Amino acid sequence: MKWLKKLSLAAIASAFLLSATLTGSAGAKDELKGKITVNGSTALLPLTLQAAKEFQKLHPKVKIAASGKGSVTGPQAVKKGIADIGACDWDASEDVPGFKKFEGQVANKVAVIPFATIVNKSVKVDSLTTEQLKGIYSGKITNWKDVGGDDKDIVVITRSFGSGTRVNYQAKALGGGDIVKKEKNYKEVGSSGDMKTAVATTPNSIGYIDLTYISGDDIKAVKHNGVEATVENVINGKYKIWSYGYYMTKGQPTGETKAFIEYVQSKKFQEGSLKKLKFIPISAMK
Amino acid sequence: MNISAHKAAREAGAELHPRHRWNLTSRRARARVVNWLFKYYFLFSILALCLVLAMVIFFIGKTAMLTFQEVTPAEFFFSFDWTPEEDRFGAALFIVNTLSLTLLTLIIAVPLSLGMAILIAEIAPAWVKKFVSPLLDLLVGIPSIVYGYLGLTVLLPLLRELSGEGLGDGLLAAALVLTIMILPTISRISEDAISAVPRKYRDASYALGATRLQTTFRVVLPAAGRGIVAAIILGMTRAIGETMAVVMVIGNTPQLAKSLFAPTSVLTSNIVMQISNVDFDSTWNYSLHLMAFLLLLISFVLILIIRIIGRKGGA
Repeated sequence: MKWLKKLSLAAIASAFLLSATLTGSAGAKDELKGKITVNGSTALLPLTLQAAKEFQKLHPKVKIAASGKGSVTGPQAVKKGIADIGACDWDASEDVPGFKKFEGQVANKVAVIPFATIVNKSVKVDSLTTEQLKGIYSGKITNWKDVGGDDKDIVVITRSFGSGTRVNYQAKALGGGDIVKKEKNYKEVGSSGDMKTAVATTPNSIGYIDLTYISGDDIKAVKHNGVEATVENVINGKYKIWSYGYYMTKGQPTGETKAFIEYVQSKKFQEGSLKKLKFIPISAMK
Repeated sequence: MNISAHKAAREAGAELHPRHRWNLTSRRARARVVNWLFKYYFLFSILALCLVLAMVIFFIGKTAMLTFQEVTPAEFFFSFDWTPEEDRFGAALFIVNTLSLTLLTLIIAVPLSLGMAILIAEIAPAWVKKFVSPLLDLLVGIPSIVYGYLGLTVLLPLLRELSGEGLGDGLLAAALVLTIMILPTISRISEDAISAVPRKYRDASYALGATRLQTTFRVVLPAAGRGIVAAIILGMTRAIGETMAVVMVIGNTPQLAKSLFAPTSVLTSNIVMQISNVDFDSTWNYSLHLMAFLLLLISFVLILIIRIIGRKGGA
C-alpha cells in the first residue's frame, strides 16, 4: 500500500505544480491586476459570471470572485466594504418601496432585465390587464373564471418581500399595487429557480419571473395588457415590465473595478454574450 | 527449561544492566507523558465544544438583543402580526407554528419508527435485520434537500389530489416530509437500544408466562427507555432545526396555521427566506437573529421535557 500512497502524493504534487505554472505563465503582457469581488442579485449573476470569465482571459492578473444572494445584499456588501461591486435589480442610490437609498453609492447600468407574468400550463388565460393582475395579487379575484378562464381557484405564487424581482414587478406590472397574503392558495418562494419549479408543478398557479428563466412546456408567459413579453416589445417600448440591472459602487469606480464595469458596458460584450444570455443591451433603450 | 533461563537472564538484566533499567523507566515515563497528553487532549475537545456553544450563544444573542431597542418583548413574543416592512414584529405565530409542526411530526413519526424498531429487533429473523439496518443508515445520510424535492414533486401533487386543495402546502405536508426524514434516525437508534436489552430479561418474562406482546411492551421497551428517549430527542432536534426540506413544502407565508393545509411559516423557514433580503443594521435583521436564538432555547426546553418524561417513564 505504500507505493499507492507515494503515487497519490506525487500525483497531487504534480497537479499543484501544473496548475501553478499554468496560471503563472498565462501571459504577463498587461499591467492591470488586483481582485474584484461582486456580490448581490441572483438575476444578474449569470451575466457577471460570463463577463468575469471573458475579462479574466483578457487580464489574467485580475481575479474576480462573484456570488449571488439577494439584490439588497449587493449595495449592503459595498457599504460594508466586503464587495467592490454590488449587483442590484433596482437603483439603490435612490429610495424604493421598502428600502432606503444607499448614501454615497453610484449606480452603473449594465443590462436591461425583462420580467414576465407566468402561469402553469393548465391555465387557459393568455392575456391579463394591470387591473386584473392587481385584483389577483391583492386577493380580490380568486377564480380563473373571473378573468376569462376555467372555474378553478387561482394559486398565487410570489417572491418574498425584498426580492428585486418583486420590487420591479409590483412597480411595473401591478402599477404599485399590493401583494396581499392569503389563508389559502398563496405561497412565497425564495429565488427565481424556486418560482419556476413552483409554478411548473402547481396546477392553476400564477407567478412572475425574469424572461431569461422561461423555458419548457410546464410554464407559459402571459401577455400584459395584450402585449407579448418579448425582447422586441421591450425595445420598442410596448412592453413595460422591465428594469435596469445595476452595478453599485462606492463612489465612482476606479482601477480594475472601473475597467471591469467598462468591459461589461462595452459594445462587444453587450451585443455579444449579454444578448446570448437573453438580457437586453442598455444601448437599445433610447 | 528455556523459560526459566530467560527469566533468570531478565532478572539479572534488570539488576545489572543500567541500560535495561533506563529502558524500563523510560517506558513508564512515556506512559505518563501519553496519559498526560491524552488528558489534556480530551479536556481540549470538551473545551472546544463549549467554546463553540458559547460563541453561538454570545454572538447570536448579542445581535438578537438589539431587537429590543425598537420592539417590546411583549410584542415580539405575544403578537401574531409579522409585517416587518411596516415595523410590526410579532413572532408568536412562528413559535406556535414551530411547536405544532414538531408535535405533529412526532405524533406521526414516533409510533411508526418504534413499530419498525420493534419489528427489526424483536420479531423479524436475523437476515431482515442485516438487510434493513444498513438501509436505514443510508437513509439517515440522505441530504434534507432531497427529501424536500421529493415532497415538492411527489407528496404535494398527491396531497392536492386527496384533499382537493389548490396548493397543498402547509403543516401537514411539512410534517410528512419531516416524518420521512426522521423515521430512520429514531428507528435505527431505538432498535440499537432494544437489541441491547439483556436476553435474560425476556427469558424471565417468558418463564413467568407472559406473551411476546406483554414481554415487548412491559419488559423490553421500559428497559430500553433511555435509549428510545435519546432516539426521539435526536429525531426531534433534526425536525425542529430542519430548514431546506420545510421551506419547499410549507408555503412560506407568515401567518398562523389555522388548518393543516394553510400556507404558513416556521422559525427556520422564515429566517432562511428573509435573511438575504434585509438590511444588516435593521430591527428586521436583529429580530431574525432573535428567532434563531429562540430556536436554540426551544430545542433546549423540549429536550429537557422529553428527558423528564423519559425518566418518569423509565422509573
